[in-house]
Amino acid sequence: MLSYYLRLALNSLRRTPGLTALMICAIALGIAACIVMLTMYHAMSGNPIWWKNNVLYAVTMDSWDPGPPYDPQHPTLPPPELTYKDATYLAGSDIPKRKVIMAQLQGMLNGAPGQILPLRVMTRATTQDFFAMFDVPFEYGGGWRGNDRDALPEIVLTKQVNDELFGGADSVGRSIVWNGNRFRVVGVLRDWDPLPRFYDVVDGAFAPPEDTDQVYVPFSWITALQAQPFSNMTCHGSGGVQNYRQFLASECLWVQMWAELPSAASRERFHAFMDAYWAAQRKAGRFPRPLNNRLTDVSQWLEVNGVVSSDSRILLRVAFAFLAVCLINTVGILLTKFIRGAPIIGVRRALGASRRQIFAQHIVEVAVVSIAGALLGLALGAAGLAAVQASFAQDNTYGMLAHFNPLGVAWALALAAASTLAAGLYPAWSVGRVQPAGYLKRT
Amino acid sequence: MMNLNVRPVLSALSRNRTGAVLIALEIAIALAVMVNAAWIIAQRVQQIEAPSGLDVRETFAIGVAPLSSHTDLGAAQREDLAYLRSLPGVVAATATSSVPLSPYGQGTTLSADPGPQAPMTTTRFMEADEATLGTLGVRIVAGRNFSATDIKPLSQGFFQSYPEVIITQSLADKLFPGGNALGKPIYAGDNTPMTVIGITSNFIPSAPSSPSYDALLLPQTPGDFGSYFCLVRTRPGMTAALLQTARRHLATSNLERVVFMAQTLAYYRQRLDAESRDVAVFLTLVTALILAVTCLGIFGLTTFNVSTRTKQIGTLRAVGARKRDIVAHYLVENAIVLLSGGLVGIALALGVGDWLSDQYQLPRLDLHFLAIGVITLAVIGQLAAWQPARRAASVPPSVATRTV
Amino acid sequence: MLKMQDVSKVYRTDLIETHALRNFSLEVKSGQFVAVSGPSGSGKTTFLNVAGLLETFDTGIYALDGQDVTRLSDDARSRMRNEKIGFIFQSFNLIPDLDIYDNVDVPLRYRRMKAAERNQRITKALELVGLASRMKHMPSQLSGGQQQRVAIARAIAGDPALILADEPTGNLDSLMARQVMDLLEQINEMGTTIVLVTHDPELARRAQRNIHVVDGVVIDSAPYERRQPAEEARAGAEG
Repeated sequence: MLSYYLRLALNSLRRTPGLTALMICAIALGIAACIVMLTMYHAMSGNPIWWKNNVLYAVTMDSWDPGPPYDPQHPTLPPPELTYKDATYLAGSDIPKRKVIMAQLQGMLNGAPGQILPLRVMTRATTQDFFAMFDVPFEYGGGWRGNDRDALPEIVLTKQVNDELFGGADSVGRSIVWNGNRFRVVGVLRDWDPLPRFYDVVDGAFAPPEDTDQVYVPFSWITALQAQPFSNMTCHGSGGVQNYRQFLASECLWVQMWAELPSAASRERFHAFMDAYWAAQRKAGRFPRPLNNRLTDVSQWLEVNGVVSSDSRILLRVAFAFLAVCLINTVGILLTKFIRGAPIIGVRRALGASRRQIFAQHIVEVAVVSIAGALLGLALGAAGLAAVQASFAQDNTYGMLAHFNPLGVAWALALAAASTLAAGLYPAWSVGRVQPAGYLKRT
Repeated sequence: MMNLNVRPVLSALSRNRTGAVLIALEIAIALAVMVNAAWIIAQRVQQIEAPSGLDVRETFAIGVAPLSSHTDLGAAQREDLAYLRSLPGVVAATATSSVPLSPYGQGTTLSADPGPQAPMTTTRFMEADEATLGTLGVRIVAGRNFSATDIKPLSQGFFQSYPEVIITQSLADKLFPGGNALGKPIYAGDNTPMTVIGITSNFIPSAPSSPSYDALLLPQTPGDFGSYFCLVRTRPGMTAALLQTARRHLATSNLERVVFMAQTLAYYRQRLDAESRDVAVFLTLVTALILAVTCLGIFGLTTFNVSTRTKQIGTLRAVGARKRDIVAHYLVENAIVLLSGGLVGIALALGVGDWLSDQYQLPRLDLHFLAIGVITLAVIGQLAAWQPARRAASVPPSVATRTV
Repeated sequence: MLKMQDVSKVYRTDLIETHALRNFSLEVKSGQFVAVSGPSGSGKTTFLNVAGLLETFDTGIYALDGQDVTRLSDDARSRMRNEKIGFIFQSFNLIPDLDIYDNVDVPLRYRRMKAAERNQRITKALELVGLASRMKHMPSQLSGGQQQRVAIARAIAGDPALILADEPTGNLDSLMARQVMDLLEQINEMGTTIVLVTHDPELARRAQRNIHVVDGVVIDSAPYERRQPAEEARAGAEG
């Protein structure tokens, strides 16, 4: 029976080539638009560490001055970074299972075998829990274990830097000069570039290649070198700071902090700890704004920091509206076409076809159109993503993320099948209700 | 004279309801999307066309960082500037702490009143020398530029106080809404006054995210933040070549410091515009497609309707309808569908516009866009039905009497 | 075979009520060839639709081939139409996009017959109507008479118990008409019950019985003499 219906369907579609082409192309275009936007939206808004979403929390306090809020677009939110003073104090708590404070630095690498010119590297200065907390994968070695003030300072290289300086070999134990100081390589990362860069959204969730972290050193090296962070720093007002010591004690916001708090109880305790600190500091004259200590999980953090740009949301909705228009188009065409075939349906019914058989025959026709449209839509969608990647600026966000992944394919197929079949259900059902007698009258 | 008999059209439509309802729905959605998309595109284009206030095409920047804390950045800077200024084709060169239009830069907050309680305005700032404004091609509109003696040398100090500063017009308007900021003191969160000695035309300083024209210039040799940028303006057409020459030389001329970036301002301008441009392109594409699909739908269905009703058309002609009466019939039918779809579409467009304004801080939809959208859709929608209507008119009256 | 008792059907619109069939009673025995005639508007078409299970009726009882079909579901009625009834229409109602073979095939498909059996039946039916050589042709390539013969082949391919013919010769010239009627008689002789609906008294005379219907009611019912087979053969040869 299926082959019979298939034959009838192909026959019927061939009879109106223009309409058939219109239906298939319209569906394909709608689906392609949705595929392109869905893939990019999914990539951009996805949580790269979703399995730890309930345990990792961004730690923020509101030490901003009174008056206009830190971010006029989000007036109720505290700033995303802490002062050095607050960060080091909070990091001293043992309530969190793990914790990390960090900032970015400019770095210069030297001393690798055969290296002529120094290599400028974006350095992340962070405490040792960073690697375990964020499940950073290592190719060789691991993070630094001991005291951050070990005699022989330790450095972790990314795969790219290791490839460039050591030819990709296992460089653990080798020494290298960073910012004029000798370091020992203690670990080399595997390819790791989570997008969005959830743990440092402030310096760019989709940082271009020249701004992604290239080496990691212990956090204490910032103060040891009396260096200023290269990452985002906001000081309200610049008065009153004359030297580095005053800088560290100032209200400049440049340290980011994350805590791993696996249980609700630990979260409450840490929150209480933060609130107690806030109260004490307020008595000493700091924190003029109202209490606003927050622990924010990763997906909320991404949301709150506008990582998913409003643009991509709008575009996604437009793509869906387009798909809706295409589907409505299809429903209309199918309906009209099927109803036009009513006299012949009447004959078939007179010859003994039941309503279900008529419905089945037409659903097969709908299925043929939907499969053709879906396949064409997939091809167009893939082409669209390739075009986005090629034509737009290379380090532009959209260009980097336009990778067609298997999840996207599955999504697209499901979307195609579901939407077109849904579109065809009503026409196929309504044509089965044709009463045979009405169409068999003599002319 | 055409007889626009609306009643028979309405009755024919009501018997053939579903197809018409679907087309009307398509039109409603298409109108809502078109109008709002055009509005968003207009906003973006405005942003793209916003003048940077600089000579973007002929300027490039080279970023330099010290190799170690022992590096004499001041000497390196002098060396680099001397070399750059000596290159044939270079019009001007300067050393600053940030690169306009790029993410490299710093920000602070300022107010017109002293003390920590004063209302603060956020602004970008730039450590500059006396050649900076000239290199960037920025005019002084009031007051004066820095002189060479104003510029403070490098030190390990932070946020030193500067008795004299320069600000852009936009920042001046924000700090002193009444006008005339020249000569007035401004404060960076404490009580140390900084006098505004010059006001410049608007330009976009460093732009980590959304660009603005607020900028503060400090007379300070850059390098406190660990790096400095050489900004160079060249004669037209020589920018790319000179960028490569300069970069190659600077990379090796002083091994106490390293070049970590070398890029034209045009590149950063393009990057800044990139997202807006992408959005505009995508929206334009989808809007065009929606329009096309809707029109093809109208065309297809009308053609189809005509082909199924040839007997009725033939009969109408047989009893005296002229060709143009048939055309009128179908155009009126189409117009009714467009009208109903359009009414729903207007409501939908306004609703979506309101929602966009609230959700995404866009300005409210300009009703001119709505009007243009309605007219466009009406015209194109009728055009789509024109050809099928003419085909209907060519159905011969003899069709009426044919039996099988 | 066909037994209707006091069947009534009323068409209601907002404005008027039409009593198409009024206490209509009729009994057709198996193997009979019966004509149902009457002026236009008399209800013959309604009778045909009801008899063929194409429409429901309001009151009365209708039994087809011993089965009470008064309150059957739509699916069951479809099955009955498929298995027990063969239709022949005035306007042939062949499906224009299918070739002759496929047209005859349609009812057999809905009966889910295997390909071999279908093929056998189709070939036999087309041979009976004399069009086996035109299996792959499209309906538009055949004359009116040939198309009607294909329709007849379609009607008999499934070995129905009852054939309902609605003005089968209305669109044919006299020669083709005679051919068609000859075929119908032949089929009747093979044992199939035939009910022929027509307004043409000449046509009605070829049946065994004539049921005259006026205003939805059976007026009279009289038998006719069948024409002799020899006369038919001579008539066919001359045409």
